[in-house]
Order: sequence, then C-alpha cells, then structure tokens
Amino acid sequence: MRKPAIALSPRAVNRVRFAAILGVLGPGLVSGFADNDAGGITTYSVAGVKYGYELLWVLLASQVVLFFTQEVGARLGLATGQGLTGLVRERFGVRWVTFLTITMLIANVGSIVAEFAGTAAALSLFHVAAPVSAAIAATVVILLITRGSFGKVQYLFVFVGIGVSLAYFASALMSHPDWGTAFHSLIVPSGNPSAAYWLTVVATVGTTITPWGQAFIQSYCADKRLGPEDLIGERLDVGLGALLTNLIAAFIVVACAAGLWSHHIVIDTSSPTAVADIARALAPLAGEGATVLFAIGLLAASFLGLGVVPLTSAYAACEAFGWETGVDWRLRDAPAFYGLIIFFIVIAAFFVLIPGLPLVQVMFMAQVVNALLLPFVLVFVMVLASDKKLMGPLVSGRFLQVVGWGGTGLLVLLSITLAWSSFFAPA
Amino acid sequence: MLYLSQAVGRPVRDQHGEPIGTVADLIVAIGDRYPPVTGIVVNTNGREIFLHWMSVTSLDADGAVLGTSAIDISKFQQRPNEIRLKLDLMDRQIVDIDGRKVVRVNDLRLDEVEGSMHLVAVDVGASGLLRRLGIEGPWRTIAHGLHRSLPERYIDWEDVDPVERTIASVKLRVPHKGLAELHPADLATIIDQLSRSDRVGVIVSLDDEAAADAIGEMEPETQVDILEDLEPGRAADILEEMDPDEAADLVADLSDESREEILGLMEKEDADEVQELMTYDEDTAGGIMTTEFVAVPATLTAAETIDRLRDLEPDAETIYYVYVNDTEGRLCGVLSLRDLIVSKPNVVISKFMFGEPVAVRTGASQEEVTEVVARYNLLAVPVVDEDGRLQGIVTVDDAIDTLLPQPSKRRLPRLFSRSGTSDR
Repeated sequence: MRKPAIALSPRAVNRVRFAAILGVLGPGLVSGFADNDAGGITTYSVAGVKYGYELLWVLLASQVVLFFTQEVGARLGLATGQGLTGLVRERFGVRWVTFLTITMLIANVGSIVAEFAGTAAALSLFHVAAPVSAAIAATVVILLITRGSFGKVQYLFVFVGIGVSLAYFASALMSHPDWGTAFHSLIVPSGNPSAAYWLTVVATVGTTITPWGQAFIQSYCADKRLGPEDLIGERLDVGLGALLTNLIAAFIVVACAAGLWSHHIVIDTSSPTAVADIARALAPLAGEGATVLFAIGLLAASFLGLGVVPLTSAYAACEAFGWETGVDWRLRDAPAFYGLIIFFIVIAAFFVLIPGLPLVQVMFMAQVVNALLLPFVLVFVMVLASDKKLMGPLVSGRFLQVVGWGGTGLLVLLSITLAWSSFFAPA
Repeated sequence: MLYLSQAVGRPVRDQHGEPIGTVADLIVAIGDRYPPVTGIVVNTNGREIFLHWMSVTSLDADGAVLGTSAIDISKFQQRPNEIRLKLDLMDRQIVDIDGRKVVRVNDLRLDEVEGSMHLVAVDVGASGLLRRLGIEGPWRTIAHGLHRSLPERYIDWEDVDPVERTIASVKLRVPHKGLAELHPADLATIIDQLSRSDRVGVIVSLDDEAAADAIGEMEPETQVDILEDLEPGRAADILEEMDPDEAADLVADLSDESREEILGLMEKEDADEVQELMTYDEDTAGGIMTTEFVAVPATLTAAETIDRLRDLEPDAETIYYVYVNDTEGRLCGVLSLRDLIVSKPNVVISKFMFGEPVAVRTGASQEEVTEVVARYNLLAVPVVDEDGRLQGIVTVDDAIDTLLPQPSKRRLPRLFSRSGTSDR
C-alpha cells in the first residue's frame, strides 16, 4: 500500500513552480526587448520624424513576421536542444555553416557598430568626442563580459530601457497625436515609390527581425534545456515579446510623428545635430530634460545590445566549429569564445573612430544590412523546421510552413523592391 | 592514410575502369579498438547502393576501384553495430574522453591496420576544417611561408565516445565504456555540455550506480531535467542508488506527478527514507542529513561491532564513526573506527565509547551544523530528534557546502543562464 503523499515544506514547492514560470517566460521577452537597441530606437525615430504615421503598418506587419520567425527559432531549440549553427553544421556540412556564420557575423558586426554609434551619439549630447566614448564603452563591455558580471548588469539596462519606453508612452500621449490617422496607417499599408521611403521600410523591418535575434532565441531555448513540453509557454513568451517590442516601437514612432513631424520639423540624418533633434520627441514629457532622458535611454539600449550581440555571435561561431562556448567556461578555458567577443567589439569600436561619422546614418544603415542578410538565415531555419526526422512532433505543420516561407519570401521581395527603387525611383 | 572527406564524392570504377558512380559514404563496425570498414555506399544516378568491402580493391583520394563488374544490389541490411561515417559521425558532436569535453567532428581519419582499412582517429583541428572547405592547400603554403604549422588535433578513436543521437539514421548501440570509467565529476561536466536528449542517451547507457554518482554531481536543475526525461522505472532505480539526502533534495524538486510516480516505483524502504527526509526543511540539519549511518546497541562487544560493520552497512556514507544507542534507542555514545580496532575484541563497547557525543537537532540551521562540525573537528555530526533518537548524520562534505558562496561556483556571463533556480 502506498503511503499518503507527504506534505513538502512550502518553500521547496514554491521554488520549483516559480522556476518553471521564469524558466519559460524569458527568451522571447529578453530577445524582444534587446531588439529595441540603439539601432531600434534610432530607426523608429527616423521613421516617425520623416514619414509621420505613414510607416506604422510596417510595424504591424513585422510584428507578425517576428512572431513566426521567433516561434520557429524557439521550436528548433526546444526540439533539438541545439543552436542554429550547430544544426546547420550537422545537416548541411562545413561549407554551408561557414557561409551562414560569415553572413550572420557581418550582420552582427553591423549591429555592434550601431551600438557603438549609439553610445557615441548619446554621449555626444554631453559633448564627449566619439573616440573617447567608443574607448570607454568597449573597455566597460569587455570587462563586464570577461569577468562574468554582464549577466547581473543587463537587468539594469533592461530596467532603464523600460523607464525610457514609458517616457515615450507619456510623450506620445502628451503631444496630442492624431489617433485616427495613426490607426488608419497601422492597418492600411501606404505606398510611396521613393527610394528613401523603401530604405526606411527595410531598416524598420531589419531592426525588428534580426539574424542575431534568430540565433539568440534558439540558443537560449536550447541552453535553458527547455523541452518539447514547454512549447505552449514558449509560444506565449515569444508572442508577448513580439507584442511588447512593437508596442514600444509604435509609441516611439507616434511620439516622433506628433512631436516633430506634425510641426514640419525636418531632420537631416547625416548631420551631427540629428541626435539632439530626435531627442526632442521626449520634450512634451521632459521639457528641457528631453536630451538627458534620451541620452540615458540610448546609452542603456546600446549597452544591452553591446553585451547580447557579441555574446550571441561568438556563441554561434563556436557552435558551428565545435569550440568551447561560454557557458561554464572561464576565459582561459574558452579562448576562441572570448577571443571572438573581444575581436567583434574592438573591430566595431574602431569603425566609430572614423572622424565625422554621421552616427544616426550609421545606426540606420546597419539595420538595412541586417534586413538584406536576414533571408539567407531564414532559409536555413525554414528548411530545418520542416524536417520531420529532426523535429519530431514539433515539425512545422502546413500552416506554419506556408507562413514561414511566406514571411521569408516577403523579406526577399522587400530587398528587391529596395534595390529597384534605389535605381529607378525618385529619391 | 586517408581522410573521409577526401574519399567522399570521388568516382567509383569497376575492374575495367568504367565509372559506375561516386563514393557516398563508408560503413564501419563499431566494437573493436579501431572499427574496420565493412562496406561502401555508392551513389549511382542519384540512387544509393551498398557494397560489401570485400568487393572493393582499393580506396584512396582518387576514388574506389571495385574487384568485380557484377554489382550485387541485393538489399543491404545495416546491422546494429554498424554506422555510416558521413551520415552518423561527420559534423556530429562526440565526447573526447581524454580531454573531458564535447567536440565536433571535422573529419575522420582512416588507416591501413594489419592489411585492412580502419577508422583510427577523429580530426577536430583547424586543418580538418580547412580541408573540408577545400582551402587546406593554400593555408599550408601560407603557414609554411611564415614558418608555422597548421594546428592539427586528432583524437584517437579509443578516446572517443560517440554521443547517442535520436535523430541519427540508426540508433547507435555503443556501450559508453570509456565514459563509465571517468570520475563522476568529470562525467557530470561532459554530460552538462550535451543537449537534453543526448544526455538522457548517455545516462541510459550507464549502470545505475555510475548514473547515480554522475547525477549527484550535477546542478539541481539539470538533475531534475534528466530524471523527468528518463523512463520512470529507470529513474527510480537510479534514485535508489543515490545518497538518500541527495535523492530527497532531488525528488523535492520534481513535478508533483513525476514525484508520485517515481516514488511509487522505488523499493519501499528507499522510498520511505526519501519521503522522511523530504519532510525536513532544506536549510536544516534534517534537510541535509543522510540516513545511511552505522548505529549499534551499547551491549555489543568490539568484535561484534566490527562484524556488524562488515555485514550490515556497506552503504553507509561514513564508517569512521559508529554511533551507539541505549536500550530506548537514544543516542548515548560514539566510537571511532580507531577505538574499535585498538580495543580488545571481547570488551563491551559502552566501556570505552565516548559517552557524551556532540549532536544537533533535526531543526538546527545549516549554519549551526557547520559551526559544530568546524568547532569539534568532526567528519560527521549526528542528528537527533526531540527525544534524542538518532535520525541521521551530516557528513563534513555536506556541511561545508553552505560555506561556499554560490556565485563563485560559476564565474561566467549568465546571458545563456538556464535557470530560475540559481538562487539555490
């Protein structure tokens, strides 16, 4: 006869449940939040300042695509317990994984350059020269990562980021936006044949759906040892992450549209004063303090990206080539891993040293590069996720396959439109 | 010497030199020290056919030559101990037993051993990667010009353990012999680097005791994952082999259903012990104690006590101390192994035992226990209930765990941290 189950001390039970919730509600939210990095804030601002409410439909569309790409990434991680590059290596061999890794690394170095441009732009509001801020940022981030304290500090960046996002909510509400136009633009896509318009569309998509975000969500799910039974929780997490990211993005656009664009303020993104101009979108809330508030937000977002993107890149490269990855290794045990991180950071920091670099333009263009390289990454993701033998019960069904390939196709189409418009359309 | 990557894709010719296809894969039989090649997979017009190694006259970087023109395309039966090198091993993760880590296969090295071709080593170095990319030659020239050599790293097949993969075309039935011989802490480190399904594969291949030892060395959240992924009967067997205090901590972390199921499948005696330990709060003496100790009645003689030690308690965590109970079952003394051995065999132990043993209550905090152990220089401290009855012992290794600040155990970027339980 079985004994009646013995009551556990309440602590033990609570801890397990709490862990189960925290364990699943995580990667999607973190990845979604890190999406609104320096490049994100800047690109959304530029979109709002230049085109007012017109590009809100792009946000809605990219949120849908973001959800499905993150979902499939999470599903790959849950089903296989491996990262993206590891799977590509096993399925397609050394050559393809080298191609994929190099593609991702180019996009990621672009993103890291954008993060450095973000710190430089933020500190330029306090009259700190770009080389100085790049040197400071690089040193701080390398120390945080190699000494293992980035994990703790990242929450500080996240919280500051949330604070500044709330400031955008408030500013948007206080600057009396034209809600009717905003909702209309959100749902009805607008067309505009100019090259600059499509460039902004591509940058907006590129800052929302990123190659590193794709690698990140999968590695995170695999590394947390989540399993197929966590699918529902993970979908919820990914959905919330995508929703939150785009809600913040939408309010940045609305704040910039209502605060700047509707007053016919024109911003030249390649001028050195562009950062200060963009910061004025926060003026309804913060008044004269808008610059400081924006600088703090941009700095926190840049630092979050500066930690997450190099870590994800090094992780992907190490997994592709079978070198020791970060978890559980110290600096001297995983020289390739830490070496790569330092390499990415230093290369990107040097880029920012170019004198007279238009920082806002750099952040913006880095997102365009991300968007153009993204389809190459997604093709691998979609092929892997349709492999029954690999995925087992988590294989993409017909609906998810159609949506996945459809999203990938749309991104390709977008790149073609951009290329076409930049050659044939009025500027 | 031949690398698999040099052979794959090369032409296969019959004895008259007529091309019939290309080399798609090689088959080896696992089990020997160096697995012999037993077959070849030939791609002919997009179709794969299998040929026995007997029909191959030669294989090198120029391709394969067959000794026959009559190809027997009768259906090939892959035997359980046979694996396809390209499909099942190339680019996969393997365990480097000597280096105690998980690495990826860049290439496979084949050699003539006693007149036939064998798989001898796994190439995990940069030169293997460059060869696969088809740029080994240029790099070698550059390196030579700089008076350097390309970094080459091979792992002898003997030091390799292929990771069991559910997605492999065949389920490898490889006995993880090498792994089982590792120290449990090293084994735990290796298993920790594997993906979730691979870990279970490795654990399943170990015997219960080795599995219990390895699991005991892992992080709590990893232990839970593994136990819940294992078949419940097997999980119960492994738990029975673990120290009851460890088992109780682990069982407490399982989900409600798994806990019920696994406890029900354990032997009653072990399950009761675990359940009893689970009633204590984790941070108290009761929570960290083990019930595997030696206690004898005060009326025994030294010789009888030594006999008892031999017979009854081979499992006890420590036998350096033998605890002595009075007729009511209360702790009344303690003997060291030394006392027992040096005393005359027929002396009753109550005559020479230490009559005022230091003990802690089950509800004592972990810090108190640590302090007692440190102050009296004990290897283990007995834990008693309100009536003074011996319930268990806390060994010094469990007591000092509290002294280690948790963060210092892992000093890494926690971006890919895998837990909400790291507060433990």
